[in-house]
Amino acid sequence: MAKDRNSVDYGGPLRRLILAVLILCLAGTFLLWRIDSPRVERFRAQVTDAIVPNMDWAMAPVTGTINLFRDFQSYRRIAEQNAELRRELRQMEAWKEAALQLEQENARLLDLNNVRLDPRLTYITGVVLADSGSPFRQSVLLNVGARDGIVEGWATMDGLGLVGRISGVAQNTSRVIMVTDASSRVPAVIQPSGQKAIIAGDNTAAPPIDFLENPDLVRPGDLVITSGDGGVFPAGLLIGQVAEDPGGRLRVRPAADFERLEFLRVLRHYGTEPVSDTAQVLTGTEALVAQDQEASE
Amino acid sequence: MSEPSPSRLWVMRAAFAGLVMALIFFHLLPLQTATGGWIWPDLILAFALAWSVRRPDYVPAALLAAVFLMADLLLQRPPGLWAALALVACTQMQMRARSLRDATLSTELVSAAAWIIGVGIGYRIALAIFLIDTPALVPSAIQIMVTVLAYPLVVAVTHALMGVRKLAPGDFDSTGARV
Repeated sequence: MAKDRNSVDYGGPLRRLILAVLILCLAGTFLLWRIDSPRVERFRAQVTDAIVPNMDWAMAPVTGTINLFRDFQSYRRIAEQNAELRRELRQMEAWKEAALQLEQENARLLDLNNVRLDPRLTYITGVVLADSGSPFRQSVLLNVGARDGIVEGWATMDGLGLVGRISGVAQNTSRVIMVTDASSRVPAVIQPSGQKAIIAGDNTAAPPIDFLENPDLVRPGDLVITSGDGGVFPAGLLIGQVAEDPGGRLRVRPAADFERLEFLRVLRHYGTEPVSDTAQVLTGTEALVAQDQEASE
Repeated sequence: MSEPSPSRLWVMRAAFAGLVMALIFFHLLPLQTATGGWIWPDLILAFALAWSVRRPDYVPAALLAAVFLMADLLLQRPPGLWAALALVACTQMQMRARSLRDATLSTELVSAAAWIIGVGIGYRIALAIFLIDTPALVPSAIQIMVTVLAYPLVVAVTHALMGVRKLAPGDFDSTGARV
């Protein structure tokens, strides 16, 4: 029974060696990530893919229960909420009339112009499995992945506005970096002035508007939509409205409801085709060849 | 109290791995998808330190390295950096476990607080050296502070609910030797 005390010596040489090897391995992983980030990130996506969907059976009921309790707290204010909703509903009736009229007018005009909206812009809907788990990263994990044809860089929206971009695709899951994340940059155009800008996430609920050429033309309440520059996002997705913070800086109040993301749409986007050639349409081929020869001489 | 059975040793090691997975699970619940909100203490680091002081044989370095790396991968941190720093902190506490065993609780709290703050600062410095975007200063400082404040609670839970206690004179350690 009475063994030598030194048998559990935590500073022993073998222990130190193992510790040194472990620390070197971890530091090596970090260095490898720093040097070859995509490869390690792919590995991370595969690890997440292997682990998180297995937790789903437990996550769904726990999340549901906690949300139920949160809803229960709001029942206490139910009477005043009811009155508030009735007021809002009356306002909405008026808006609905206006919207119906506009919809009809829009359909008529589209018909007149024989416009065909991009038929390749379809979407896949995914369920939010998990969030990033840290207050410093704004991202969620979706239950659709490479199996469903998800491609890195595609835009995701909730019912109303842009939520973020796919970054990291594994077989069954994919990660969405939200526009509020500090690493997110979205090229945008502000309507009606048509000013181009970059929406740069900074981990706050309302990301600031950067690289705005003429801030005087932009007013709070203006619409911010994606410009499609850079070819990552399709053009014309609603991001949100311009708002001014107390410091006078222009920010975007996102149209998407980030509070409770449950279902997200991933827009299939196969890139905008570049227009590279210039006005060669009207000239015949022979004339073109002649022109080319002239030009080369 | 602690019987000299190797099976208990492995059960407690598995229990530690399970505890960390449960903490990660609660981190990943999609409750807080918007920015802002609560900043939670880093309970994984706090529990690892508390277990390291009490029973170093329950948390061998290899197990700590594995769970920290898993947490890094799942919680979207640069993989390996936080894990290496936390591993250093925990093993330093383990090496001092023998002297801390006889010391008062306040000594342990002070050294744990020092290591938590040290890991937090070291992490930021390393990120800055490798030119990686550091997380915002104020939330990370708050997180370090709440982790320090949560440490006594973690110690209480570890001691009372999980039954992970320091070896007292007369107990048997995992190899069956009397302390």
